[in-house]
Amino acid sequence: MLTKLTNWSRLKSPWILHLNTGACNACDIEVVAALTPRFDVERFGILLKATPRHADVIVCTGPATRQMKDRLIRIYEQTPDPKFVIAVGACAMSGGVYRGAYNVLGGIDQVIPVDVYIPGCPVRPDAVIDGVVKLLNKLKG
Amino acid sequence: MNDQVLIDKAKASLGDRVEITNPAPRRIFIRVKADDLLAAVGWLKNEAGFTHLSTISGVDLGQSFEILYHFANNFICVTIRTEISRDHPLLPSICELIPGAVLYERELQDMFGIVVQNIPDGRPLVLPDDWPSGNFPLRKDWKYERPPEVIPGGKK
Amino acid sequence: MKFQIPIGPQHPALKEPIGLRMTVEGEVIRDADIRLGYNHRGLEKLAEQKTWIQNIYLTERICGICSHSHTTCYVQGVEKLMELEPPKRGLYIRTLVAELERIHSHMLWLGVAGHEAGFDSFFMYTWRDREIVMDILETISGNRVHYGINTIGGVRRDLDEQQIKHILDSLEILRKRSEYYKNLGTNEPSFVARLAGVGYLSKEDAIALCAVGPTLRASGVPMDVRKDDPYAVYDEIPFEVCTADTCDVLGRTVVRIKELFQCYNIIEYLLKNLPAGPVAVRAPRRAKPNEVVSRYEAPRGENIHYIKSNGTDKPERLKVRAPTLGNYAATIKMLKNGFIADVPLIFAAIDPCICCGERAVSLVDARTGQEKIISMNALKNLSLKVTAGKARKREAEWPL
Repeated sequence: MLTKLTNWSRLKSPWILHLNTGACNACDIEVVAALTPRFDVERFGILLKATPRHADVIVCTGPATRQMKDRLIRIYEQTPDPKFVIAVGACAMSGGVYRGAYNVLGGIDQVIPVDVYIPGCPVRPDAVIDGVVKLLNKLKG
Repeated sequence: MNDQVLIDKAKASLGDRVEITNPAPRRIFIRVKADDLLAAVGWLKNEAGFTHLSTISGVDLGQSFEILYHFANNFICVTIRTEISRDHPLLPSICELIPGAVLYERELQDMFGIVVQNIPDGRPLVLPDDWPSGNFPLRKDWKYERPPEVIPGGKK
Repeated sequence: MKFQIPIGPQHPALKEPIGLRMTVEGEVIRDADIRLGYNHRGLEKLAEQKTWIQNIYLTERICGICSHSHTTCYVQGVEKLMELEPPKRGLYIRTLVAELERIHSHMLWLGVAGHEAGFDSFFMYTWRDREIVMDILETISGNRVHYGINTIGGVRRDLDEQQIKHILDSLEILRKRSEYYKNLGTNEPSFVARLAGVGYLSKEDAIALCAVGPTLRASGVPMDVRKDDPYAVYDEIPFEVCTADTCDVLGRTVVRIKELFQCYNIIEYLLKNLPAGPVAVRAPRRAKPNEVVSRYEAPRGENIHYIKSNGTDKPERLKVRAPTLGNYAATIKMLKNGFIADVPLIFAAIDPCICCGERAVSLVDARTGQEKIISMNALKNLSLKVTAGKARKREAEWPL
């Protein structure tokens, strides 16, 4: 009974943590723009949290640089189960324009397991909302 | 002041230790030897009034490194260039004259392996903590071998 | 009793990863140190392996907020290497997009500054107004960020009458809404009191540490690349260099608000005097061996690119110095003798674009060497508590 309640609350109101692992910032401002009055995801219950320990979903932008690799793993482990990872943008999916650079390992999936990939360079805020909704549908089914 | 005025002042003060070119309006390039570098920067700062250092670039020319110091003021952009050898890359630091140069010199140390003498703070700037030492990315003979990628849940 | 606080890569707001280590004594910061490198992607090496046109795409993604500034600086340099003269209409459109980018960047910054000082309604207002600018950019270029409008020899798209009318109408709305920002001091004295006296950087220090952009102009030094070294069509447009002389975060806010109004005037001038003609000339594939220094006034400061060619279709060396790097030495000076609660504000005031660093702050006790990690959220809560007006009273004048 309690599990049903917690599952329902996770589906209806996921709390996200926004993490930048070396991106150019374009995807980040689009993710933050999703909170602003035009797109306003807070009316759907999506809240931007400050610390990984409170979050359900990690929204990750940017290619994984070598320096950020350990921190990324640490943050992934600090997030409590069940957790989901969304890779936002071309850089997070495969390295984007920076594929082949010496300090870049590739996409985020070289370091942590990813559930949803959102393409775009940069991603529109509507696409971010769409991605989160698709993740929730995946959980329901 | 315009370009010609500055060129005449430089020739008057520094004489034949410098070679000056003026390829475009508001762009002057001055070539000095590494020993005269501090004298030239000192002259530029104290007598010509150029206190703003924009950046320090390094170029790998094969047999030697070329270092360019870009200065700017409200009228002209002056670049001082000097060359140092590849086997003994030693460069005097200009941080006593221009305190803001320290970050750019640290980057030169990281990227090319140049040793800057008398630098106030010589720690690595941009390379990660687990970078193997002795690898200097911007040298022309340093190639990067990309490790094979792992595709999660799929073929190799 | 000194503690050292590391501010590390993961933080709750919009910024990039950097590491900041501060030595504190009680609440006062005695020393600060910045660890870069979380965002280092090895771009300069990558640029040597791609052609001139591919590098436009690459330099655009150095930074998302000031992407047009990096492409324009690069393209200007390459045009000088190839000895091309882009047509006047192309230059006007390039300058138009540059000023629109300056507006959107300053509004973004105003929102972030408001958020760091606890004024969240201001954050929502400025970002709502920013959407108007994003719509204009989308009609002109097809994308909200990373417009891709530059090519070697001019621009890729042209403007038609309907777009010009849309821009002029939106400009009226923006001007009316910006009047609120200008009168902010009289309406919200607590906001002004929070910003006054924070992050003091004297004029001599700003010049000696080679600061750039609004950080320099708020200390009373009138250096602006658009006036000193005019590129594109800035030598034909009448505008003023905005300075302030309070040398603190309040001065930087005032400089950016003044620049917003200058941008509106410049855009109006550009649209009313747009010449007819083609928008681009054809560019060759190769460039003769030569070198060029190209400078540009990005919203954050002076952007400088040094490009060297060797006769092939790839550059020999591309050196990029983004404006935020020039402000780091000044930031360390500003953090000393400040309070911990002011750290988010001081750092936000230089308008960090570290993709051109993550913030976790770790506090290290200088005597015993013990480390204590406090999260950026806790730091921000501390900053907000101060805004609630308890410990400090500051007399501040709103200069506008």
